Amino acid sequence: MPVYVDINRCIGCRSCEVACKNAHSGRSYVEVKVIDHRASVPVMCHHCEEANCTLACFSGALTKDGARTAFDIHKCTGCGLCAMACPFGVVWTDKTAHKCDLCGGAEIPACVATCPAQALSKDQEVAAKRARARAAVAAVLGGRR
Amino acid sequence: MPKSLVPTICPYCAAGCGFYIAVEKGRATGIEYMPEHPANEGALCPKGNAALEIIYHQDRLRYPMKRKGEGFVRISWDEALGMVARGIGKAIKEAGPDSVGFLSSSKCTNEENYLMEKLARCLKSRNIDSCARLCHAPSVVGLNRTLGAAGMTNPIPDLANSKCVLVIGSNFAENHPIISRWVHKAKDLGAIVIVADPRLTPTAWFADMLLQLWPGTDVALVNGMIKVIIDEGLIDKEFISLWTKGFESLVDAVKDYTPEKVEEITGVPASDMVMAARAYARSPASAIVYSMGITQHTTGTDNVQALANLALITGQIGKEGSGVLPLRGHNNVQGACDMGALAEFYPGYRKADDPETAKFFSEAWGVDGLPVGRGLTATEMIDSADAGDLKALYIMGEDPANSDPRCLHAAEALFNLDFLVVQDIFMTATAQMADLVLPAAAWAEKDGTFTGTERRVQWAGQAIEPPEEARSDLAIICDVARAMGLRFDYPDAESVLSEINRLVPQYKGITRDRLGLGGITWPCPSTDHPGTPILHSQGFKLPGNRASIVPVQYRPPSESVSPEYPFVLTTGRVVLHHNAGSMTRRSPSLMERSPELFIEINPRDADRLGISEGEVVCVASARGETTAIARLTDKLKEGVVFMPFHFPGTNILTTDARDAEAKIPEYKVAACRVSRRD
Repeated sequence: MPVYVDINRCIGCRSCEVACKNAHSGRSYVEVKVIDHRASVPVMCHHCEEANCTLACFSGALTKDGARTAFDIHKCTGCGLCAMACPFGVVWTDKTAHKCDLCGGAEIPACVATCPAQALSKDQEVAAKRARARAAVAAVLGGRR
Repeated sequence: MPKSLVPTICPYCAAGCGFYIAVEKGRATGIEYMPEHPANEGALCPKGNAALEIIYHQDRLRYPMKRKGEGFVRISWDEALGMVARGIGKAIKEAGPDSVGFLSSSKCTNEENYLMEKLARCLKSRNIDSCARLCHAPSVVGLNRTLGAAGMTNPIPDLANSKCVLVIGSNFAENHPIISRWVHKAKDLGAIVIVADPRLTPTAWFADMLLQLWPGTDVALVNGMIKVIIDEGLIDKEFISLWTKGFESLVDAVKDYTPEKVEEITGVPASDMVMAARAYARSPASAIVYSMGITQHTTGTDNVQALANLALITGQIGKEGSGVLPLRGHNNVQGACDMGALAEFYPGYRKADDPETAKFFSEAWGVDGLPVGRGLTATEMIDSADAGDLKALYIMGEDPANSDPRCLHAAEALFNLDFLVVQDIFMTATAQMADLVLPAAAWAEKDGTFTGTERRVQWAGQAIEPPEEARSDLAIICDVARAMGLRFDYPDAESVLSEINRLVPQYKGITRDRLGLGGITWPCPSTDHPGTPILHSQGFKLPGNRASIVPVQYRPPSESVSPEYPFVLTTGRVVLHHNAGSMTRRSPSLMERSPELFIEINPRDADRLGISEGEVVCVASARGETTAIARLTDKLKEGVVFMPFHFPGTNILTTDARDAEAKIPEYKVAACRVSRRD
């Protein structure tokens, strides 16, 4: 399952970047964007259901493996078409393609484990669940939020 | 390849996050998360994730060195210890023990801090202090006076139980990121978050109510809130009558702080302040989270006492989800204070000016004539060195040349010393000025306990050996002591901890064998006591078991703006760096994300000065000038600018005006001017 972001929670600390870099020998596949000093969001591979990068890749290096967009470095020719095809700018090339690999199938990806504010999750519903819980509390407390 | 995981505590801030250091073939190869830790649940901020980057850095000090001209030459440990004994001995012989100062390290273990203060006092010097002076000294003074204990009253995870979190002068989202986790949980359970700060930080993103007050006006704001609470009958009468004294004088003291008057002083709209006061007082469990924005002022002690008053009159203390929560800075600044590395306290907060204290430790240590009386604080040691009264200074793990305010003057003062020995892991700006530099082990290279901001005492085990001839600070201090004729027989940290157990009542039951995952929270008076996560639930350790309400009045900061220096400069931190930066500025992952000194300036102010984003500008104050990269942002109101102090330069500008009691410098307010470089 891909990593989802609860944008209400991100504090812009960039710990996910450092953790990702440590897990991938010096390269981070996530970047935190700060919007107007008011909010921040980590941007990383969305492991799209219909992944443009896999459609562009003629060598079969980028493929869908269930929910995960997988990358086989041995098949990569370094052509750069995937980087052009990605609508989010989260694939780039430097000799070969580079992108989030969900930490090689680890149960908990490094970014999810490290986030101090629990902004990252493998649960697609995490933000919605929390919002519903807050609404329930508010209803009980008399609609304060 | 067999890999061992050594549990440790992060060396950066005082949140005390746990993680494992992976060790293979004697080398630290990586970090593994510790999801079972009660405070961080495995999470780490970027500094924690980058913590190992400094261990094998090429700049690590590896052997003792003595000054030769502008540089240093390598010497043996024997020669180095001889130099220390002669340097300190000469000063004592010619000008008495009080001509020597000792600066202990808030980054070293409890055992090392304990030994450093013991060394100072056994040599009959009263001058032992630490960088707590620059950070939470007002909390130590103010909370000891009002509540009878100086420390975060409730544990970090307890914030999730709060229904109203008042954050004032704290940017925890950047400086104690793990706190965010628990405040988010509180919000999800319906808590209201109030943030009072001159600057719209990432912490302000949590706010349901934002009070953007003018720097240095906190007493006015808090007194205003107290008056609203009193006037609207929102006080906790039962709590006041059972557990406090001094309430009547407070009612009188705040009578002039009407919402309109408070708005005039602070710039916070009257209605906002009133709403915040009501929310804080009405909620069933309210917590106050504060840090440098409250303490680093000439009114720092007053600011702290004002917050204690607020909590006491509403009974928001001694129960779950409540409390007064100072977020401390360094990983072991709480421990350094507990161990008495302070000019006014011996270990366990026994007062240095009480002859009974000297008597107690004389017996315990088997040393006669221990000094009575308050010694020079870290800030006063600089004055004294400048005047030529302080002749010798032994600095462990501190960098006053970067950390002290008006730092050019501080550096000059250090140069004036007859003998300066600096014990550190890197050649800091302060070490550059030393006569003798001693190489110390980093946190992962030695055993010992660290006390985080929650009063949680945790054991961190040695994972790897220190480089070459570097040694643990514990071993070095013992050798120095022996070189000076004292008996310091401590083969390991555990032996020092046993002595601490005997002599520091709050640590009595915190023995080595009881220190497992999550440590133990002091006070822990016996070995079958579980520790005390929540303070003051049974009253206050003050006369009559009552807290002291100490009324305070608003006083403006020491420096006002002028035509020559029209901006208010406030200083602070960013998430990617830590304090004076000797570690984080050597950490590639952190430097690539935050490489240089910047100044945040309101776009309208920048426009008037013709400054654009990214431009190098000159910033000057009455104490000197520096350059910085301009960042245009409306996080600040017009007239206020912000600079982080992790990079050399910021403290050239700051003022050394101090709080009269706690002696902390007013880092948060100075007057400056900003101009284009050309």
